[in-house]
Amino acid sequence: MLIGIDVGGTFTDGALFSDASVVHSVKHPTDENDLAATLLGVLDELLKHAETKGVRRIVLSTTLVTNLLATGKGERTALLLLPGSGMPFSAYSISPDTYFLKGGIDFRGRQIEPTDKKEIEEALRQIEKTGIERVAVAGKFSNRNDSHEKLVMEMIKDLYPHMDVCISNEIAGRLNFPRRAVTCYYTAMTIRQWNAFADGIEAAVRGRVPGCELHILKADGGTTTLEASRRRPCETVFSGPAASAMGTVALNREPLNCVSVDIGGTTSDVCLLIDGQPLYASKGALIGGHLTHIHSFAVNSVAIGGDSAVYEESGELRVGPMRNGVAACFGGASPAVTDAFNILEDLKLGDIQASRTKLEIVAGRLNLQLEDICRKVADIVTEKLKESIVYMFSQWESEPAYKVWEVVHQRKFVLHHVIGIGAAAPAIVPMLAKKLGVTHILHRYSPVANALGAALARPTLAVEVHVDTQRRAYTASPGGLSGPVEDRNYQMKDARKLAERLLREISGERGLSAYADDARVYLEEQFNVIRGYQQTGKLFDVGIQIAPGFIHEYKGVEQ
Amino acid sequence: MKPTGVIFFPAFDWAISPTHPEREERLLYTRDQLFEEGIMDMPEVREYHPRLATAKEVSRVHFCVPDVESRVTQAHMVSAGCAMVMADSFMQKEVKNAFAIIRPPGHHAMTVVHGNRGFCDINNEAVMVEYLRRTYGIKRLAIVDTDVHHGDGSQEIFWHDPDVLFISFHQDGRTLYPGSGFTDELGGPLAYGTTINIPMAPKTTDTGIHYIMDNLVLPILEEFKPELVINSAGQDNHYSDPLANMSFTAQGYAVLNQKLRPDIAVLEGGYSVETALPYINMGIIMAMAGIDFSNLREPDYNPSRFKESPGNMDYIRALIDRQLENFRGREAVVEANRKKGREFDSYSRSIFYDTNYLQEEQRLDLRMCPDCCGFRRISSSCVHASGRQYSIYGICLPMACCPTCGERARSDYDEMKKKAGYNYIYLQDRVRDEYRTFDCGSAEETVL
Repeated sequence: MLIGIDVGGTFTDGALFSDASVVHSVKHPTDENDLAATLLGVLDELLKHAETKGVRRIVLSTTLVTNLLATGKGERTALLLLPGSGMPFSAYSISPDTYFLKGGIDFRGRQIEPTDKKEIEEALRQIEKTGIERVAVAGKFSNRNDSHEKLVMEMIKDLYPHMDVCISNEIAGRLNFPRRAVTCYYTAMTIRQWNAFADGIEAAVRGRVPGCELHILKADGGTTTLEASRRRPCETVFSGPAASAMGTVALNREPLNCVSVDIGGTTSDVCLLIDGQPLYASKGALIGGHLTHIHSFAVNSVAIGGDSAVYEESGELRVGPMRNGVAACFGGASPAVTDAFNILEDLKLGDIQASRTKLEIVAGRLNLQLEDICRKVADIVTEKLKESIVYMFSQWESEPAYKVWEVVHQRKFVLHHVIGIGAAAPAIVPMLAKKLGVTHILHRYSPVANALGAALARPTLAVEVHVDTQRRAYTASPGGLSGPVEDRNYQMKDARKLAERLLREISGERGLSAYADDARVYLEEQFNVIRGYQQTGKLFDVGIQIAPGFIHEYKGVEQ
Repeated sequence: MKPTGVIFFPAFDWAISPTHPEREERLLYTRDQLFEEGIMDMPEVREYHPRLATAKEVSRVHFCVPDVESRVTQAHMVSAGCAMVMADSFMQKEVKNAFAIIRPPGHHAMTVVHGNRGFCDINNEAVMVEYLRRTYGIKRLAIVDTDVHHGDGSQEIFWHDPDVLFISFHQDGRTLYPGSGFTDELGGPLAYGTTINIPMAPKTTDTGIHYIMDNLVLPILEEFKPELVINSAGQDNHYSDPLANMSFTAQGYAVLNQKLRPDIAVLEGGYSVETALPYINMGIIMAMAGIDFSNLREPDYNPSRFKESPGNMDYIRALIDRQLENFRGREAVVEANRKKGREFDSYSRSIFYDTNYLQEEQRLDLRMCPDCCGFRRISSSCVHASGRQYSIYGICLPMACCPTCGERARSDYDEMKKKAGYNYIYLQDRVRDEYRTFDCGSAEETVL
């Protein structure tokens, strides 16, 4: 048996899955001040329906880190930057406690400017004086050579052992220094609180279900073991939309182009599925106004949902963005979007007479017939959603391209289905699909898609290797790995083998070995280094990943 | 404040040959630098998606022999397309200025294209200029070519166009490819003085180039009053460039852009792939976007390394005086040329294609129209790399021509179709935005 729990901002959903069906599901309000209690409450109720010994795996998706970062409740953290030459230092307004240090590395990993130990010692003295105990260190091109970052880390461990230190290349090894710095900074900022939370959860779960695997859902729709998450808490942000996206894919496994619309109370999340795979944000997750290196789904939020109020203002019909409780048909005091669709499509949701009565009041103020006002509301809602969907298509089609092949084979998004998720989806999604000229899908499990997505998601891991045969060295992420390259006749197949080996090693360390065979190469680039018409080396970039997907035992749900 | 538009198209899957300067690796380190700096994430910068140019857009400028599709590589079509994406972003006011960091380059490509010249198949800026004119009704433009090589292709294309001021900075043609761009090359008889060449001595520094900017380029731009300024932003004046001998720095390029304030910049040459390009491209983006670039420098930068010599400054001052005089006296010369009363001004020339070792023989007539800038007729023959000889005849009718020239050009085209001795007859009718090719072998005509 499998358990998935998605702690959302308002509600926490849980699902118990076994033999191709959802055995039991739970929905509790979330207590923001005690996420662990909410989580365990839902878990306990699910366990009542399961034989304890039969639960093989529990996956949690939580808003803890997202909330810490959004509310600024993370711990005060110093940021040590080694930016070298290039952008002005004023471009890095990340932490109020930022210290700039000497030290420069170039794109080939060569030192341009040495570090200054005295300057580092002085910065650390300042940090110590202000009482800060978390330090993030980031250097430009540290992903090609992290010796400067490591030197600073060693000095901190040596001089101030009570401080926690993170270096950017170990957290996120891809190009983009500001994003690396931000990701490292956020990691240092939340690592202690996350670990305290993890300790509590781990003890509670072990007490209830001994021997069961415990995973955390990440922003990329993959899981990681609770143990492995302790070093990278930032990866757990935005796992809510990731849970929904994975649930959507679990319920619709055909490789088609779809748009999933998760219609909540006051907002709707739009997400694209390309050949059945959810689309990622090309620039990484945006947190606290900063782009990060955290791989997350591209989700467009529209300020309209099933509970968005329908009212009259200065002679005009208004829809949302606020809500006044639930829709009238479900006992609300004033009419909402769901009521309009209820009448228009004769959906027989709740008390349809209440929908009628409340909407007639608004219609009267506007001198409209009931039918007309419903149609107008539906138009406004579906138009807003359509705009958002069309915008996402165009964004995807107009991503930068760096190869002739990519431009000649221009991307074009051809939509097949609209998939509805969330409580208000049955009301709105059919009409939206009609407007877009495609069919819609509403699965019977769509109300618990998020918890189901968490329960079924498999682990993910991406390894990127950069080989420079002229410098006879490779660097790899994650984890800031590096090593020598001896073979003078090094080829792409060797770089691929290296990437595969590293992926296996890291999978082993993180308890994901069972999925290493599922890894696929997603990036292969090679460049000849030519100096004076002679080849003096080769550069290889290889990316290999266990992509988001489902655990081996998942074969689909019963229809 | 609006952002600066940037399109970055490194053509990572295209090279002239594996070890050629124009190879996949050329913009690799620029990619690394731009990505690592995160400059595309800055609110001051907006990145754009490339597109392919169409055969029609290319035909507004070129006679591609035998046709666009078989003559021009897809990489060049994307490069020219990128320049037009930048033109759109600028004209639609999405950005305050725009920079196309693209390869392959274009400024050595001339009107007739038999092959690749100086790494260029088609002229990116010229295709963009005609697109701007056709789409947005722009008439008067200036192109400032800061590549170390003379922009002989752009010069040839706009030689007879009095509404395009073409200014080229370059290392003296006696010391570098393509061996042209001297001060007496000032434009055709009806467009005299709107081509201005600035040949510089090898080793000229930031100081020298900035002095020319302040005392020659900016004053004549001020007087010419173009609607739009385009920078052909070659980066091979850099002190580390392997194909040239100048002493310009990344800071120098950034300051040049700050002074010039181009509306659209388009990358041309620059082959110091590790030591110069990553830093110059950063510098140009920063200068255009208004980001402080004082912290930008090459790894081996030393501010006291290059000093301008007094002798070179004397040369520069004399050059400036001469070119200011040429520019300011241009209208009188054009007037005198018009009064000479010849119907056509004709000349012949040979054009060498260094990439493919082709030799083109060309004869050109310009109609000395009393009312407009006239139209051109070009007959050209060349043995292609395939071994086949092509003889073609092309008629270029500019958008700003008078009705008489229009009628004459079209009837000349119809006449030529009946004549023997050519493989293809072309009519570039920019007035009607119609581009005809007549295949003399099959007697078939295609119209774009």
